[in-house]
Order: sequence, then C-alpha cells, then structure tokens
Amino acid sequence: MYDLIVEMWSFAFMRRAFVATTVLSASVAPVGAFLVLRRLSLAGEAMAHAITPGIVIGFVTAGLSVMSLLVGGLIAGVGVAILTAFLARRTILRSDASLASLYLIALAVGIFILSAAGSAVPLKSFLFGSILGIDDASMVLVGGVATVTLLAFGVLLRPLIVSTCDPVFFETQTRRPWLVDQGFMLLLVLNLLAAFKTLGTLMAVGLMILPATAARYWASTITGQLVLGFLFALSSCWIGLTLSYLFPDTPSGPAIVLVAGGFFLFSAIFGPLGFGRRMRKPSVSKGIHIAQIQQEERAQ
Amino acid sequence: MSDRIQRSGAGRGGSGAVGALVARDLRGDLMSAVLQIRDLTLGYRDLTLFHRLSMDIAAGTTLAVLGANGSGKSTFVKMLLGLMDPLSGSLTWPQGRPGDIGYLAQMTEFDRRFPIRVRDLAAMGAWRGFGYRTGLDAAARDRMAAALDEAGVLDIADRPLHMLSGGQLQRALFARVIMQDAPLILLDEPFAAVDQSTEAHLLSIIRRWRDEGRAVVLVVHDLSSVLDCCSHALLLGGQEATHGPVNDVLTPDRLVAQGYLSESQASWMFRGTHSTAEHANV
Repeated sequence: MYDLIVEMWSFAFMRRAFVATTVLSASVAPVGAFLVLRRLSLAGEAMAHAITPGIVIGFVTAGLSVMSLLVGGLIAGVGVAILTAFLARRTILRSDASLASLYLIALAVGIFILSAAGSAVPLKSFLFGSILGIDDASMVLVGGVATVTLLAFGVLLRPLIVSTCDPVFFETQTRRPWLVDQGFMLLLVLNLLAAFKTLGTLMAVGLMILPATAARYWASTITGQLVLGFLFALSSCWIGLTLSYLFPDTPSGPAIVLVAGGFFLFSAIFGPLGFGRRMRKPSVSKGIHIAQIQQEERAQ
Repeated sequence: MSDRIQRSGAGRGGSGAVGALVARDLRGDLMSAVLQIRDLTLGYRDLTLFHRLSMDIAAGTTLAVLGANGSGKSTFVKMLLGLMDPLSGSLTWPQGRPGDIGYLAQMTEFDRRFPIRVRDLAAMGAWRGFGYRTGLDAAARDRMAAALDEAGVLDIADRPLHMLSGGQLQRALFARVIMQDAPLILLDEPFAAVDQSTEAHLLSIIRRWRDEGRAVVLVVHDLSSVLDCCSHALLLGGQEATHGPVNDVLTPDRLVAQGYLSESQASWMFRGTHSTAEHANV
C-alpha cells in the first residue's frame, strides 16, 4: 500500500491529477449541493451535454487548448441557459422541457461535428476524461474556476439559500431575482468546463451530484450539506484516481464517479435521512397530507 | 344596499362615481391609506379577471379577499407585490412604497425538504436588513426570539423543516412574516392546511398586526375566518370586484351573484337572517 502511494506520487501527472481534483472538489461541491437542493440535478446533466458542441467547435477550430475549451463551452452553455429561460417564460414549455429540447439539439450538433472531423479526435478521453490530460493550462483553469466559484458563493450564498428554499418569497424580496438564477447557471457551466479534462463531459456532473445527494442523507443544515458534500467529493477523487492508476486502461472519470456512487449507496442505506430512519414523524395532522398531495400534484 | 359598498364590474359606473364612493368609506376617512388603487383592471393577455376596481387599503384594517377558484385572488396579491402588472389602472403609495411587504405564499408552493431549521427560516424575514454577509445582531436576535415565541415555535426552533407538521410549518412561516416587520402584510390562504387551534392562534397574531396599525390583506376561503378578524372584504368573481366593509359585501345576494356560493348554499348558511350583520364580529 505504502509502496503503491510512493510509486504513484513519483509521477508528475498523478501529482497534478491529485492537486487538480482536490481543488475541483472544493469548487464543484457547493455547486452540486445547490443543484440538488434547487431540483436541478438532471438540468446539470443536461447542461453538461449542452456545452459539448461549444467544446467540439473550439477543439476542431483551435485545437484542444484551454482557451478554446473555455470560450466554446461558455458560449454554448450560457447560450443554452439564456434560451431555456427565454422559452420557459415566453412559451408554454416549462424550463425542464425547454432545456431538454435544447440540449438534445446541442448534443447532436456536437457529436455530428466531432464525427465529421475524423479520427484525430480522442473521443474516449473527450467523453470520459483522462488524468494524463492535465497540463499547466488545465491547472490554471481549475484553479481560476475554483477561485471565482468560491468568491461568488461568498456573495451569493445567502440569496441562493433564500431563493432555493422559497423562490416565491425571494421574488418579493428583490427586483432582480433572475440575477441569482443566471449567476448560478454561469457557475455551473464554469465548473463543468473545469471538470471536463479530468472527468469528461459525460461524467463531469457525477462529481457534483453524487457527493451532494450522499450528503443529503446525513445533513439537516446547509452548512452540514456543504461540508459533507466537499468531503465526499474529495474522497471520491482520491480513491477514484488511485483506482484509475491501478487499472491503467480505465478512464479517470468513471472511476471517480463510481466511488462517489459507492458513497451515495452507503449513505442511502445508513444515513439518518435515508432508509435508516423514517423521514417524517408519524403523527401529523390531516392538513399536511392534503398539502403534500397538492405539492406532489403540482410537481408532476 | 349601503352606499359604503363599492362595486366595480364590466360596464359599471365611471371613475368619478367610483371616487365619490371611496371618499365615503367611513374607515377610509379615519385611517391613512397605505395603498390607493384606482381604476384597476386585472388579468392576463386573453383573460380579464375584473374591471376598474378603485379602493384604498388603509393602515389598521384587515381586508379579506374572497372568490371562487380562478377569480383572481392570488393574482391580485401578486400584483400588489409588484410581481405582475395590471392591464390598466394605477397603484399609488401615499406614504411611499414600503421597503418590504410582508408576504406568505400558499403553503403548497413551499419546499418542505429544504435543509434548514425553523429559526433560520424565521431569520429570512430580516434578510434584507443584513444583506449578504453580516449575521444577526443582538437586537435582531431578541426580535427573533420574540417572533418565534409569538408564533408558538420557540420550543421547536432548532428542528429541521422536514420534521414539522403542516400547522407547525405555517407557524414558522408566520414567525418569518413577523420578522419582516412590514406596514403591509399579504397572506395567501394562511389557513388552508392548518387545524382549528392553529387557525385561532394565527388569527390572534393577525389581530395584533391590525391593532399595531398595519394593513393586512388575506386571501381566504372560509367565511368564518373572515368574520373573525376582517374589517373589509373584496369579493372577486364574474369579472366583478366588490369592495366595502365585511357586512355590506358578504350578503347572500352578492355571494351568489359573483359565483362564490350556490343559491342553496347561501340559503343554508344565511338561514333565519337577512344579512350577515348579525354574524359579524369585527
């Protein structure tokens, strides 16, 4: 075990991977927590697909550089986020359906261009990530995104909590409620791009969602949710990278997400808010049932 | 019919006549208006809810907003909050628009699984005063303890929301409205999912707000809770809006005419009486 760690650390690319994913965990954990709390878990996945054409177009036209990734991904991600909000407000479609429609189009465009560009494209590392791919520029990207994310959360945390807990109330409290929504979407896109190199487009959301959902089974407060989510994400990355090193042909993305999935299953079974204990108190008034049913009907 | 009642509806009276009626609203003369509504037509692009409502919402009064489903009660509240614009007409705030309007949405719109505690939910009411960074100061903490106590949730202040019953959650949300400390308070169906004793408790809080000179607007379904605490009523339905003191508006004829009650319901509820005056307890 000790020999393994020494051997692993002797490689510069592994040291980079560990540093990059540690910083990445700190960055994606709060984003993931609020994705889950805002009921946007699937929207995060959709957004990861939606930025694909931007990354692909950047890759095909300017090569696999961090700038092409950042610019292409941002344009695609922000474009889809704004179009989704526009469709949801001006037409009958809700935002989930609008986003689904747009990301499917975007994904098809991305794969189409990627295939047309020929075999020079490393499709597997594109979709699932590669620990070998973390160069200096990628480290700067991850560090930069983490800095922006954590600073933004310093300012946005309280409005985010209020708007997530009670969006109707939040709308009455501020003149520009959309600023928080769109600001959060921007942070999501930035973090997906930062996670792209290590995890790939398909797995990037895994590191956001699974640690956050696992933490949900233990935490009754926002602070607990954020801290625990970070610890789960960090452990997933370290264990996942080690696994990926032990089995050299496995891409790093699925390895990391698989470990996160293990934390999730463990938490679901043993966490105090999972199967371990009943979620609600047994004695409730008749009124709460009606409220619950109405809430569920509304959600459908 | 008393001249204090004022009806607005499709094709009814000009603005001059309406203005005269408003001026004769007895309480309106005594109390200062928090909000003056003039010639308000409310609705959506292809659906008009009611036409040309003119009324004052005065400090120290409680206004019940009643009407059948879809008559525009919640839309009216959203319009007061500034979340949507009326089709026509004006809102003026004689004392300036309050920095904060107390607001309680329908409980069905609330995510009960959100991981915060009762005291944090109540603290949200004072959120605007503290901005992005600073925590609650000592004065605000005292105020919060008092609010939690008045709402009857001080002993469960550290409980997460998903462990609360419907009544407890509504009390916690009332604590938040108390923390907002607003001159105008809007409550959308505050008693929809609570038991009788909780309703009585919440009504006592509403009476205190009224006695402190705040204006309270409640959307309600149940006539008995109206009679318990409201001085004025706004009845919506049939593209009309009728406003005035409770006793004048909530007559069997009016309630039937605007689709709030059927004929048989009205005759059962008002059996042996000719008006609601004998039920009133304002």
